[in-house]
Amino acid sequence: MKGARFSGLRRFWDEYRQVKSGLIGIGLLVVFILIVLLEPVALPYRQANERWRDINYWQDSPRLALPVWVNWFTSKDYPRSTVISEPKREEVATGTLRVITMEVPYEFTSGHPPSDLYYKLYLTGRASIAFEFIRPDGEKVELRRSTAVDGAQILRLSAIETLQERAYALGAKYEDPNVAKSRNPRMIDTMGVLFGQAARGIFIKPAILDGTYRMRIQVALVNEQSQLNKAEFVVLGGVSGILGTDGDRRDLWCGFIAGTKWALLIGLLTSLISVVVGVVYGVAAGYFGGWIDALMNRIFEVVLSIPLLPILIVMSAVFNPSIWIIIAMMCLFFWVGPVKTVRSMALQIKEHSYIEAAKALGASHRRILFRHMIPQLIPYSFASMALSVPGAILYEASISLIGLGDPTIVSWGQVLRDAFSSGAVLQGIWWWIIPPGVAIALMGMTFAFIGFAMDTILNPKLKTR
Amino acid sequence: MYWKYFVRRILYAVMILAITVFVFSALFSTVAEQVLRAQIIEQVNAEALTLARQRTSLDPNAAQVFREYRTQQLIRRHSLDQPMAVRVVKRTLDALTLQLGNSTQIKSAAGETDVMTIIAERIPRTLLLFGVVAVIDIVAGVWLGMRKARQAGKLMDRSTDIVTMIVFGLPTWWLGMLLIMVFAFAIPIFPSGAMHASPPPESSLGYFLDLMYHLVLPVFTLVILGFWGRAYITRNIVLSTLQEDFIMSARARGLSERRILFGHTLRAAAPPIVTMSLLALLGSVGGALIFEGIFSWPGLGNLYWVAVQQNDIPVLMGNLTVTTALYIGGLAFLDLIYGFLDPRVKVGGKA
Repeated sequence: MKGARFSGLRRFWDEYRQVKSGLIGIGLLVVFILIVLLEPVALPYRQANERWRDINYWQDSPRLALPVWVNWFTSKDYPRSTVISEPKREEVATGTLRVITMEVPYEFTSGHPPSDLYYKLYLTGRASIAFEFIRPDGEKVELRRSTAVDGAQILRLSAIETLQERAYALGAKYEDPNVAKSRNPRMIDTMGVLFGQAARGIFIKPAILDGTYRMRIQVALVNEQSQLNKAEFVVLGGVSGILGTDGDRRDLWCGFIAGTKWALLIGLLTSLISVVVGVVYGVAAGYFGGWIDALMNRIFEVVLSIPLLPILIVMSAVFNPSIWIIIAMMCLFFWVGPVKTVRSMALQIKEHSYIEAAKALGASHRRILFRHMIPQLIPYSFASMALSVPGAILYEASISLIGLGDPTIVSWGQVLRDAFSSGAVLQGIWWWIIPPGVAIALMGMTFAFIGFAMDTILNPKLKTR
Repeated sequence: MYWKYFVRRILYAVMILAITVFVFSALFSTVAEQVLRAQIIEQVNAEALTLARQRTSLDPNAAQVFREYRTQQLIRRHSLDQPMAVRVVKRTLDALTLQLGNSTQIKSAAGETDVMTIIAERIPRTLLLFGVVAVIDIVAGVWLGMRKARQAGKLMDRSTDIVTMIVFGLPTWWLGMLLIMVFAFAIPIFPSGAMHASPPPESSLGYFLDLMYHLVLPVFTLVILGFWGRAYITRNIVLSTLQEDFIMSARARGLSERRILFGHTLRAAAPPIVTMSLLALLGSVGGALIFEGIFSWPGLGNLYWVAVQQNDIPVLMGNLTVTTALYIGGLAFLDLIYGFLDPRVKVGGKA
């Protein structure tokens, strides 16, 4: 009995194997599922999911860095990020005053300046700090700062944030005075000047100065309670990770990985629920006929004539729903998809003599519907399910793009939203825009391949003339 | 007999619209009333202020009495003192007669806050964009679909099928972003958005050309993604028409394949192709709402973006009502065309 019921599926699979695009679809689906399963291993930042919107979590990665592989295609390499933790300390004590000196040599040969560099100091108590940026040509840029905070604190001395005006002073020594005067000291390209050759044009288009840069820092601890617990020197490169970083320093590869599971979940759950509801609804309408059919048809037509996206937008704007509510709202409208076809198929199946035989044997309506009619619609249901997955993903992405997505998850649509709203399109930040869209398209393609493959099997007359 | 079908279909559309709007009114009743109350308080405050300015000697007690009286009056006028069911029904009737209330933030070009005015000035712009797209889309789609049907199963058919599947889940708005990046940032030959240069050209010819220039990129984006789907539908309808008996008899009569395809098949297949295509386009209007925002095309879709950003609930709901009405109207219109082209439809209508 069991074998008989599934022999249809077996035959279906044998036919399915003949369709090449269908197999590609299955292959892609397996890849996506693998990505979801391997997420814990594949995420370079472990807490990317929970802390996607936490600025502090991402502060140690570069802003708008290109993907690492860009270096394979450019003659001028972008520097990579490096962290030197606990540089060698030299300590000189005079009474209660202790001066710790650290110097890190930074061998620099890239074609572009790094996007930032900084010392990160874990301090307790009072300290006064001098930061010196010594260039290969002997020029120095210096910064002094004293800090007095009770208790522990983390101090970041970032070149971009603290050395800008001093970099301007350095550049102004070499640049054409007229050009120098026309520049706003707060608008110059700090890293370009710091790593630029000391010559005219340093403000306009600085040539890169190769060599060993030395970053010296002196921490003067004022009293015995003061401590330097830990020190790190960090260079933020121009490239980072497989897909680069966005304007909020977030690693876009993490965004891709984290978004995969949500896309799959949204697509599969929505299509599963709505196809199950739609198939049962359609079969019931076709089977019962009469006024039940007429009523069910009316309800179906009302739902069908509501434009889905506008109502989703307004409902999201009014109720600020979570992702589960969004999925539920989509199901409310998606179930109409298979109804029409299923109903007409049910009308045909109903006329078969074995249904009549089952009726004559006293089988209940439920038994006839679920044992005799619906199993025959399973192949069609799968095709319909596969074809409604991309729609669900698209709708979630669209809602997210307008800014109404669930803020507790990371979805591809939300990454695109951030890109669009921070003007990535008109700044040409392609690595922020292309990957999430390609991901959505690939996911859609996966299910389109699978669905269309099933469709050709179910409608053999469409194959050739 | 056609006019009977016509009247029935229109009445049916109105009924569906009424049900839908009723559901919306019930669903968003709480938030709509909150906004309305806030608007009433604001209006009364403004009136009291004017009154105080006009009559400086006004007794503060009298001012208070005026406020309370006026608030009550407005609450009664908007039926906010009625039971829930009455309020919902009244709001449904208001929406159906296009009295959509006043916006909280957004203003029309002339500075009015009437929601219907704001929406009305945007409708033609959306219709223009999608009208142009629909025409190009269907012409290109039918052309490709006929070619595919002629060579069904051959390389051309299969390769274009693959493209159809590739673009199936591709968001139009994402392609829009990409094309803006390419054609407005990397190779700046097209504007990145909007409907006109600012300020728009004075002469009417210049105005027209400028409009066309701004239309190119959005239309191109929509068509390049859309017409594959139209081609796929056309191909399938043509192929199933080719199985019909009258085609076989035409073949038996020795007619040329070209005549069979363009004379007999396309003629019989035209009504479903046109309606299916328009239906698909109508269905894609939803996605295209987002699309307008990307190109800052100042139509209905863009209004959703603006209203969401400014949290303007009355505009959002008014826009929803109007979009739904247009959508349902579009569906009815399609049925009417179909009934006109294919007389079988209006007789039975059984699937």
